[in-house]
Amino acid sequence: MSGKNCVAIASDKRFGVKYLTISMEFPKMFQATDKTFIGISGLATDVQTLMERFRFKINMYRMNEERDFEPITLANMVSSTLYERRFSPYFVEPIVAGLDKNNNPYINGMDLIGCSTTACDFAATGTPEDQLYGTCEALWEPNLEPEELFETISQTIMSATNRDCVSGWGAVVHVITPERVITRTLKTRMD
Amino acid sequence: MVSRVDVPKGGFNFDNYQRNLILQEKGFSLPKPTKTGTTIVGTKFKNGVVLGADTRATGDTTVMDKNCFKIHYLAPNIYGCGAGTAADTDKITKMVASQLELHRLATGRESRVATALTALTQFLFRYQGHLGAALVLGGVDVDGPHLFSVSPHGSTDKLPYLCQGSGSLAAISIFESQWRENMERDEAIELVKEAIKAGIFNDMGSGSSVDVAVIEKGRAEVCRGMEVPYPTIQKVDSYKFKPGTTAILSESFRNFVTITEGDAMDIS
Amino acid sequence: MTDRYSFSLTTFSPSGKLVQIEYALKAVAQGVTSIGIKATNGVVIATEKKSASSLIDDSSLEKVAVVCPNIGMVYSGMGPDFRVLTTKARKAAQKYKRIYDEYPPTGILVKEVASVMQEFTQSGGVRPFGVSLLVCGYDEKGPGLYQVDPSGSYWAWKASAIGKNMVNAKTFLEKRYNDDMELEDAVHTAIITLKEGFEGEMNEHSIEIGVIGGGNFGFGPGKEEPVFKKLTPEEIKDYLANIV
Repeated sequence: MSGKNCVAIASDKRFGVKYLTISMEFPKMFQATDKTFIGISGLATDVQTLMERFRFKINMYRMNEERDFEPITLANMVSSTLYERRFSPYFVEPIVAGLDKNNNPYINGMDLIGCSTTACDFAATGTPEDQLYGTCEALWEPNLEPEELFETISQTIMSATNRDCVSGWGAVVHVITPERVITRTLKTRMD
Repeated sequence: MVSRVDVPKGGFNFDNYQRNLILQEKGFSLPKPTKTGTTIVGTKFKNGVVLGADTRATGDTTVMDKNCFKIHYLAPNIYGCGAGTAADTDKITKMVASQLELHRLATGRESRVATALTALTQFLFRYQGHLGAALVLGGVDVDGPHLFSVSPHGSTDKLPYLCQGSGSLAAISIFESQWRENMERDEAIELVKEAIKAGIFNDMGSGSSVDVAVIEKGRAEVCRGMEVPYPTIQKVDSYKFKPGTTAILSESFRNFVTITEGDAMDIS
Repeated sequence: MTDRYSFSLTTFSPSGKLVQIEYALKAVAQGVTSIGIKATNGVVIATEKKSASSLIDDSSLEKVAVVCPNIGMVYSGMGPDFRVLTTKARKAAQKYKRIYDEYPPTGILVKEVASVMQEFTQSGGVRPFGVSLLVCGYDEKGPGLYQVDPSGSYWAWKASAIGKNMVNAKTFLEKRYNDDMELEDAVHTAIITLKEGFEGEMNEHSIEIGVIGGGNFGFGPGKEEPVFKKLTPEEIKDYLANIV
C-alpha cells in the first residue's frame, strides 16, 4: 500500500495444510534492498525457493553492478524469472513494494507467470485476495502519512484475514519511509 | 551480466511441470493467471492506422488492474494491442520488439509490419496455441499502413478493421455499421473510441478507460486514457484510523544513516 | 626461441607473456586512429574512415556502431572482428533488457564485451580479437567512456585514443582536455585531434563521429534519456566548416 513518500507491506504469519495450522511464524516477506521488500504468497515450498533465488539474484546484481536494485527493476527481474517457467510455474503471487531513488512509492503485484500490475494505490495477493481488495478499496486514500498508513494497512489486513479461515494467526507490517523501516507485529485473532 | 551460475539458457523451463500436475491431481488449485479480458480494435484510415484498447485486466472475475496498458510497443512505427493471458501478450511483444531492434541495427532500415507479424506468428505457432496471446498489430512502413490480427495458434488476418478479445463482438458491431473507407484521422479515432466503449459497456471482461494509438508515416502517438467514461468517484469522507488503533505486539526500527563526514574510501 | 611459445595462445612464454595477445595489440596499432572524449554532458567518439581505393563506395562502410540506444562504440584494428563484437554486444544488451526491462549501464555492457574478448584469449581453436574498442554511453551515473583491449582488459577514460596515431593523439588530448568541457567543445577537440595525424584530405566522408548526450533525447515509449547518435555527413560538414 502506498502513502505519501512511504509504502507499507503486510502479511499474515500462518502456514498450514488445508485446515491444519502448522506454523504461526512463517515469513512471507523479505527485505530485498534498503527500501524495497518482496512479499510472496502461495505454496510454501515455492515461496521459500523463490525467496532464496531472489536473494541470490539480488546479491549478484549488487556485486556485479555495484548498486542496489531500483524497485521497478527488481519487479522486472521477478517478472522475467517467473515467466521463464511459463509452462511449469511456481505457485506464487509476489508483491514488490518500495521507495525508488527519489523516494517515490512503487507497488507491483504479480500473477504466477509474471504478469506485473503496477499500482499507484495498493496490491493484494493470497487466499483472501478478494476480501483484501474490498477492504483496501474502502479504507485506502491518497497521501497517507507513515503512521496513518500503518493503521490503514493493519486494519485492512486484519479485517480481510478475519473473513478467511486459512489466513491470520498474527501479522507483520513493514512501513518504509525515506528515513527508516518500521517493522511491527500485530495483535490479531489466533483462531 | 547476470550471474553465470543462474543464467537462463533461453526458452522455457519445464522443471516444475510434473510436480505441478501431481499437485493439481491432489487438489491444490493453481492460482489463476491474469487475463486481459479485453476489447481491442484497430482500423486503417486515409494515411495510417488507429489502434484502441480498454484498460481492464481480470483474474477470474476479479478486476486485477483498473488501468492496465494493452497497447504494446514493437517498433517506433509499429504497435500491437494484446488480448488473452496478460503475461503472454506482455512478454511476447517485448521479445519481438527486441528482435526487431536487433534487426533494425543490423539492416539500418525501419522495421516492416510484415517482419513483426512473421516473428510473432512463428513464435506462437511453435507453442501450438499454449501461449494465450491474441494481438491486433498495426503500423506504417515503407509500403504504407498495415493492419493484422494474430491468433494464439499463429494464424493471421489482414483486414481494414479488426477486433479481438472478449468484447470483440460488441466492438465489431460499431465497425460493421459505421466504418467507411478512407476516413480522416479524427473520424477514425472517434470510431475506435466508440468501438472500445461498446466493449467497455457490454462486455464484463472489458472496462475502465479507452487507450488509443495513432500511427502515421513518421509519427506515432500513444494516448493513455483518451476517454474515461466512468471517472472514479472520489470518496466524500475520510476513513482514517486514529494512530494507536491497532494493537502492536512488537516494534523495531531500522534507521538509514547518511554519511556526511570523512574522506571517501581510497579505491585507486 | 619466442616462436616456440607463439604457436598456441594458451601457452605462456618463459617471460610470462602471451605473445599472441601482444601481436593482436600490434594489429590494433596498425589500424586507423579513433578518438573518444568525455564531456560534462555527453561523450563523443570519432574515427577516420579511409577506403583503400577511390572506387569503393564508402557510404556502406560503418565504423561507428550503435549497440543500444544509450551506448555506441568505435574500433581500431580489424573491421571483421569488430562486426562480430558488435553483434555480440547488441545481443548482450537485448538480453539484459529482457531481464530488467532497461538497457544496461555502460560499465556493465563494457564488462560483458570485455569478458567475450577475454574468452578468446583462453579458448581452444580461436585467436584474440584484433581490435581495441572505445565504448561510450550514458546512464544514471552520467556519461561514460571506456577502452577495451584484445586481452579483455578495460579502463574508463576522460579522453583516449587508439590505433596508429594513438601516442601523438593522447599527448595532444592531454594538452587540450579540461574537466568542464562541454559536448560541442569535445566534438571540435576530437576532430582537431584526428586532424593532427590525418593523411590526405579530411572531409565529411572521411571521418565518422558518434555522440551521446547534449540534447539528443528520446527513443522508445515515454523515455526521455540521452540517445547515442551518429552524425550525418551534413552535420560533420558543419563542424568541419567551423574549424577551418
